[in-house]
Amino acid sequence: MMVPDGDPRALRVGVAPAHRLDGDPSASIAPPPADGAAGGTAPWPDGTDAPGAVARLDGSPVRARLIAVDAARARLEVSRGGSVDRTPVLFGPARLDRARGTTVREVVVDGWRVEVEVEPERRALLRERARRGAGAIGAGGPVEVRAIIPGRVVAVAVEPGDAVEAGQQVLVVEAMKMQNELRAPREGTVERVGVAVGATIEVGDLLVVIR
Amino acid sequence: MSPPFRRVLVANRGEIALRIVRACHEMGMEAVAVYSDVDATAAHVRAADRAVRLGPPAPAESYLRIDALVEAALETGAEAVHPGYGFLSEREAFARAVEEAGLAWVGPPSAVIAALGDKLAARRVARDAGVPHVPGTLDPAPVDRPAEAAALLAEARRVGYPLLVKAAAGGGGRGMRRVASEDELAGALIAGSREAASAFGDGSVYLEREIMPARHVEVQLLGDAAGDVVAIGERDCSTQRRHQKLIEEAPAPGLAEADRRRLHAMAVRMGTAAGLRNAATCEFLLDRDGAFWFLEVNTRLQVEHPVTELVAGLDIVQEQFRLAAGLPLSGRARAAADRAARPASHAVEVRLSAEDPARAFAPTPGRITRWRMPAGPGIRVDTAVEEGDRVPAEYDPLVAKIVVHADDRPAALARLRRALAEAEVGGIQTTLPFHRAILAEPGFADGTALATTWVDTHWDGPRARADAVRAAILAAGLAVLAGEEPVAAGQEAGPDASGAVAAAAPAPGAVGAGGGPDAGTHRWTRGSRAGAWRDGGRAAATDRWPR
Repeated sequence: MMVPDGDPRALRVGVAPAHRLDGDPSASIAPPPADGAAGGTAPWPDGTDAPGAVARLDGSPVRARLIAVDAARARLEVSRGGSVDRTPVLFGPARLDRARGTTVREVVVDGWRVEVEVEPERRALLRERARRGAGAIGAGGPVEVRAIIPGRVVAVAVEPGDAVEAGQQVLVVEAMKMQNELRAPREGTVERVGVAVGATIEVGDLLVVIR
Repeated sequence: MSPPFRRVLVANRGEIALRIVRACHEMGMEAVAVYSDVDATAAHVRAADRAVRLGPPAPAESYLRIDALVEAALETGAEAVHPGYGFLSEREAFARAVEEAGLAWVGPPSAVIAALGDKLAARRVARDAGVPHVPGTLDPAPVDRPAEAAALLAEARRVGYPLLVKAAAGGGGRGMRRVASEDELAGALIAGSREAASAFGDGSVYLEREIMPARHVEVQLLGDAAGDVVAIGERDCSTQRRHQKLIEEAPAPGLAEADRRRLHAMAVRMGTAAGLRNAATCEFLLDRDGAFWFLEVNTRLQVEHPVTELVAGLDIVQEQFRLAAGLPLSGRARAAADRAARPASHAVEVRLSAEDPARAFAPTPGRITRWRMPAGPGIRVDTAVEEGDRVPAEYDPLVAKIVVHADDRPAALARLRRALAEAEVGGIQTTLPFHRAILAEPGFADGTALATTWVDTHWDGPRARADAVRAAILAAGLAVLAGEEPVAAGQEAGPDASGAVAAAAPAPGAVGAGGGPDAGTHRWTRGSRAGAWRDGGRAAATDRWPR
């Protein structure tokens, strides 16, 4: 029950970049093989035979299907170890990420809101190859620190040319009455500071570039 | 009984403004709302009889404008001003401006705010009243006077490390910094003072010993113009994260009647010594030896006042209006005070906030695209947001208080678990998964997790989120594979198989798609919910998948 290599219908699914945390998994998901191979159209452990799909989630094979409840609610069923796990799932709006060419959809599971990015598996593979190439050239290149929360800049602790250590405070942003200290992701030299004290920032705004 | 006032200005926004408008209407009073530009169509504005614009969204240009608020009250013919909590509620200058305008201030008078609202002054009142206070300094730290740094270091050594830098005008942990050792002290004083100045307009900070582990227990006080002060019950607010309360309950679990009487008497002594009028809350730390240490007095209505209302059988906001009109403590308030040491029911509140529990509770303002709050027996939801509303970045992230009331603590916790399972929020991340997870903690149910530092030391947000992410990824991929059309629900087992479905469901702690614990799947094991899902699934089998 592996995702067949080269299945043109296969999808690559992962957390959208703006929502990703270190260690978040991604999955390859494809419809079941038409030949009825193991894990394909065999009955589910509960005796039903809705086909579902096969996935490789972080390297492990998974058999799963989705049952609609209403326009926004669904139930995810995952077959494992002779039983079926069922998880209520809430679907939010979907949007196109034009910059990346992917579809991003909000899915809420147990109160966790996850923006999930879906694209064809083949396209994801091409992108990964391109990124590896760019990574080899751009190793040690500048790091852009971008806003992960909207708010107001109340302090800027660095200016261009300053040497910074990893973890050193570079900015203080106030949002919802709390002061949030932004720290340098790695050591280097401040190449650019994109905001000044008092500036109102939105998610994704470029704050500091460290080379 | 005739209304205490004809018209009241509500100098706040959000759920508390709506809650006060509701109390006004129940008492036959008109309510005047105020709003900033982002709140022009907010729920508290819609509910009020009149509304006055204050200015742009920034609090300093709207809800913190004393002149504009007093002018709005005078222009609309309001006779009283209720400040709610936060914003100007504990600002002596605002209370004084309202008093000097000839209006009634619905809260402790400005002189009492000066004496108790300043945490340093309150600590001196406690010293004089013989109420044990948390060891530390009694005067502002000389942040702007480097010449006095040596004396301050000596004083810090006397208090002992680790210690806390706290804002004299503070609340909610703003301006507060933990200092583990001497070399961190200067930085903490400057950062704390800057945050305090930004949040409160007063950068005064002081030092206080860190009592750890500790529970946070606070007493609700009411006082009348004749100088009578009563305690109508205590609350446990130990479940905090970085000094922000997350869950509150009444009564405080595990206290003997004698403990309660001692605690309530200390609070009344503080209130009486300071000449308290109206409503205030006296906060204490409870250490592991059972000793109470006075922390501070909040000279205003508390966010968590509903849990006391439910257990005491009293509307605190309505009592505030009567007291502000000069009436004596009501028979209902006195009866509640008489019963306070022997509470007969239990209430728990969770603060649902626009914060991400997987990213150190960072604020998550944005548009709410889905909003379903729990209902049914014993549930009270205080909120001012609706589906489609935008949670602004300018204000407090609280979006709803979900409060349950039941005969005893186990029943209340079971009810709260049920309530949180019903809640659905989309568009913004909230603290909902955190609250579900902590309610599933055995240590919370048996009380061993009741400590102010429990969340900071035990909560691993990214790990708690991991199983939900796996399920979300599979669900999103399956939805696309299905051509935006779900698998037909009719292929499932029939309705008579509900028992079989429940039996096949994973045990609590099982996971959607991988290993590890998961709070997300176990609710499914309940047969009744299983039935509901199946029925819904059949009905929706032909629905278009949502875009």
